Amino acid sequence: MKRTLTVCPYCGVGCTFYLVSDGGRLVGVEPSTTSPVNRGGLCVKGWNAYAFVHHPDRLTTPLMRRDGVLQPASWNEALNLVVERLQAVQETHGKDAVMFASSAKATNEENFLLMKLARAVFGTNNIDHCARLCHSSTVTGLAETFGSGAMTNSISCFDQTDVILVIGSNTTEQHPLIGSRILNAVRNGTRLIVADNRRIRLARHAALHLRHKNGSDVALLNGMMHVIIAEGLADREFIANRTENYDALAGSVTDWTPERTAAATGLSADKIIAAARMYAGAGRAMIVYSMGITQHSHGVDNVRCIASLAMLTGNVGRLGTGVNPLRGQNNVQGGCDMGALPDLYSGYQKVSDPLMRDKFARAWGVSSLPSEPGLPLTRAMDTASEGRLHGMFIMGENPMLSDPDQGHVRKVLENLELLVVQDIFLTETAAVADIVLPAACFAEKEGTFTSTERRVQRLHKAVEPPGQARADWKIICDIAERAGYEGMRYSSPAEILDEAASLTPIYGGIIYKRLDAPGLQWPCPDQEHPGTPIMHLDRFSRGLGHFTPVSHRLPAELPDEQYPFVLTTGRTYFHWHTGSMTRRTHLLAREEPCSFIELHPDDAAMIGIRNRDMLLVSSRRGEIRTEARMTEMVIPGVLFMPFHFAEGAANALTNNVLDPESSIPEFKVCAVRLEKIP
Amino acid sequence: MKLLTPELLDAFFATLSQRWELRLPILLPDGTRIIGSLIDGRLALHGGAVSGKPTAAFFPQQSTLLSVTDGTVEETPSPPPLFIVGFTPSDLASLRFIDRFFADGWRDDLYFTLRENAAIAALSGYCGLGGALIPLAGGDCDLEFFWDRSSWLVIAYSETGKKLIEDLPDAARTEVVELLRQTTPSLPDENETVIRAASLLLRADRVPDSFWAEIGDRCIACTGCNLACPTCTCFGVQDWRSANKTERSRMWDSCQLDGFMREAGGHNPLGSEAERTRRRIHHKLAADPQKWGEISCFLCGRCDAVCPTGIGILAVAGEIVARFA
Ligand code: SF4
Ligand code: SF4
Ligand code: SF4
Repeated sequence: MKRTLTVCPYCGVGCTFYLVSDGGRLVGVEPSTTSPVNRGGLCVKGWNAYAFVHHPDRLTTPLMRRDGVLQPASWNEALNLVVERLQAVQETHGKDAVMFASSAKATNEENFLLMKLARAVFGTNNIDHCARLCHSSTVTGLAETFGSGAMTNSISCFDQTDVILVIGSNTTEQHPLIGSRILNAVRNGTRLIVADNRRIRLARHAALHLRHKNGSDVALLNGMMHVIIAEGLADREFIANRTENYDALAGSVTDWTPERTAAATGLSADKIIAAARMYAGAGRAMIVYSMGITQHSHGVDNVRCIASLAMLTGNVGRLGTGVNPLRGQNNVQGGCDMGALPDLYSGYQKVSDPLMRDKFARAWGVSSLPSEPGLPLTRAMDTASEGRLHGMFIMGENPMLSDPDQGHVRKVLENLELLVVQDIFLTETAAVADIVLPAACFAEKEGTFTSTERRVQRLHKAVEPPGQARADWKIICDIAERAGYEGMRYSSPAEILDEAASLTPIYGGIIYKRLDAPGLQWPCPDQEHPGTPIMHLDRFSRGLGHFTPVSHRLPAELPDEQYPFVLTTGRTYFHWHTGSMTRRTHLLAREEPCSFIELHPDDAAMIGIRNRDMLLVSSRRGEIRTEARMTEMVIPGVLFMPFHFAEGAANALTNNVLDPESSIPEFKVCAVRLEKIP
Repeated sequence: MKLLTPELLDAFFATLSQRWELRLPILLPDGTRIIGSLIDGRLALHGGAVSGKPTAAFFPQQSTLLSVTDGTVEETPSPPPLFIVGFTPSDLASLRFIDRFFADGWRDDLYFTLRENAAIAALSGYCGLGGALIPLAGGDCDLEFFWDRSSWLVIAYSETGKKLIEDLPDAARTEVVELLRQTTPSLPDENETVIRAASLLLRADRVPDSFWAEIGDRCIACTGCNLACPTCTCFGVQDWRSANKTERSRMWDSCQLDGFMREAGGHNPLGSEAERTRRRIHHKLAADPQKWGEISCFLCGRCDAVCPTGIGILAVAGEIVARFA
């Protein structure tokens, strides 16, 4: 019986637990009782995080497509072929004809290496990861307003605040151990405002529940700011000392009277006023948001409004305040921090800056690095169908299920000259690959993850990977070596993090030696620095906080006669993304075994549907079959569907219309129609 | 009664480890205290109940029931004899309870194979959290280690126990144990009073559904309360099939999950958080007393410690008593 301390592989809260193993097999999980994050508890996914690891479907050997079928191959064959074919694609079509997709499930070290591989070895900035699909709007919007795209405060702040505004986050289901803090705070007197038209659990505990129309967040937030300014509730001192461009903001919200806001959001004017007063009247107020804010064609605008609302009331840079985007994946914060982004190196250093290029080129021993920002993941599919992208290397992502407009994605992936997928299971994406590389999972390797509160924590190897599977970082190093690059020889992930730290100021003091529990929160510029629980204390990362006025834009596709319902997509509590791990976990799969769509009983009655009837749901992109779930969670006219299920895949319906600045897809609004399947 | 001075602990356990697989209270690298093996952390006998249920030694979170390769059932190697230290008197009561449960009707072989091959030692005396007194166990185990603030007084209750400590010197000063033996039964326990009062109120049907709706609204279905509870015994079963192999295993289940009672047709007699939370508490405080003659919560405190939203059994029982007594 052995215990190995590690970090939960599911959400970004960053709970730590011990994996219990016996004779080389995992047999359970025990939560850390000293973790300041989870304090002895876990959510159901954490408690079951051991359960998929030894599943018989794990990939155990490299696979190569021969005669149209994926067949076992040796590492030597597979790696040589990967390099040979990547180089061939680049020789024929140019360096930028290949794209690398990194993974928010992989470690910091692995994300750092894949971006190094793309840039230093293959000479392209075409590197991105699924942050594009979740918080790219945050990275863009908060970088502009605050100078840093990360959660400003710490999870412990939830215990020390007067008002919490949760907007577009189903926190108890998606960040359960933060959701539970919010529930506890409410019991201790904190007032809660929930702005979300789904009746999520938190809404049952809210002092105010605002069920505004999908896609009307800008209107709601502008309306609240109007009331705050009109009623003299703004923090004049904070605005004067810490911010710029206030007049432009104030001017832009003068028209957003409660009446106009009410018309745009579908709320009553009274509720808008009450929410504004409650938030602005608090000594300390926190804003929590997530995909409900970011996944819109105006996602960046939503984020700007949130930043403005917080600055307007002086709720930044203090205990129990802040703008707190909850990062979804265990290491999506780290994936961004490590520069698995087309325009940024690690630490958000721009590839367009010649000084940065020079710094990285020198450290990596290459003569130059590409200067043009690369492709965002969400533009890859279109670029490929236009004939400008011919090869993809995908590490630990499953775009076939996770990206919008599945029909299009499938066509593109199947038509690529080269698709390499490195993963732990044969996902829907791996199944159409030319070469599949078997990877170790979180329990089988060393490394670090960075949680939503910027906490860098170590995972530790508990068991051996199955068969010939290898840690992602080792595979990446092998590829670099075969491509003739000698600058990727490491004896351990600790050495990789050392290199990242030396090139990344916000991680400057983060080395393995300092990462005993409970880890360190960045910014941590040097080895004496204790880490930063609260950002922007005396000054914003960019100096002054910047107000950006925003005007309200409607979602790209609204319901009409042909497609009369709004579909919004998301996740359920029991599954993780495309389900490759949770659908192979008995208890989790039992809870939610199949695809479903939530609809309001009134809508169901209107089209003569009963609970659990099979429905045909169609949009302009595709159609799927799924089970009806009648519930008052949703408002009439709006449907909700999780995207976990390959059969009945929500993303066959969604619209790949992108925010022009962040390239995030509008997962939260598209138009569909329903038919009962007789 | 034997004497084991702190200096001799290491040697004592080292000798035992030649014949037994040792499971001792240890302090893991981040300060979490559990029952485990000395390779993972240092010995930590002091501190009261460990986190994680000690009954997991016999009923682990996941265990293989059956493994068939190419049509042949694989032999399971017989487990090594276990010597487990760290049960508090409350943990022993839980163990006694699930011993009855697993023996009732069909006997759970998997459980008893491990259970009957183990020796169990309780911890008591002034070794609770911050030196608090843990009452005397007085039986239900092979050995009891009693901390008298300077040494461990070791009492054997079985033949196995006696053999294990026969080489230790006799203890000279045992009055403290004798004194406690006489006074322990009358020591008042506030928590026990609350649990008994809540049990009576539940059995008298004095707790309305609206209360359970309110409590259920706070359950995030993490399952921790069940998974940490030493008297929770529910499990699920899964089969993993590959080309030539089928492996059947069982894993801890939780009555806080919707799928726990959901029928294939979709009907669920426990279809809301309110009903499930009610069931969890009701089962231990009202149903078990009827079926087994005792409340099946022995107040170990683990569900209260593990519940992220503060609705462990003691918290809920406290609210019941405060509002409906
Ligand atoms: S809250 Fe998130 S990090 Fe914590 S156990 Fe659940 S999934 Fe894992
Ligand atoms: S206190 Fe909780 S965990 Fe402990 S026995 Fe009672 S119900 Fe079980
Ligand atoms: S520990 Fe608490 S939140 Fe978790 S299932 Fe039990 S009652 Fe619900």
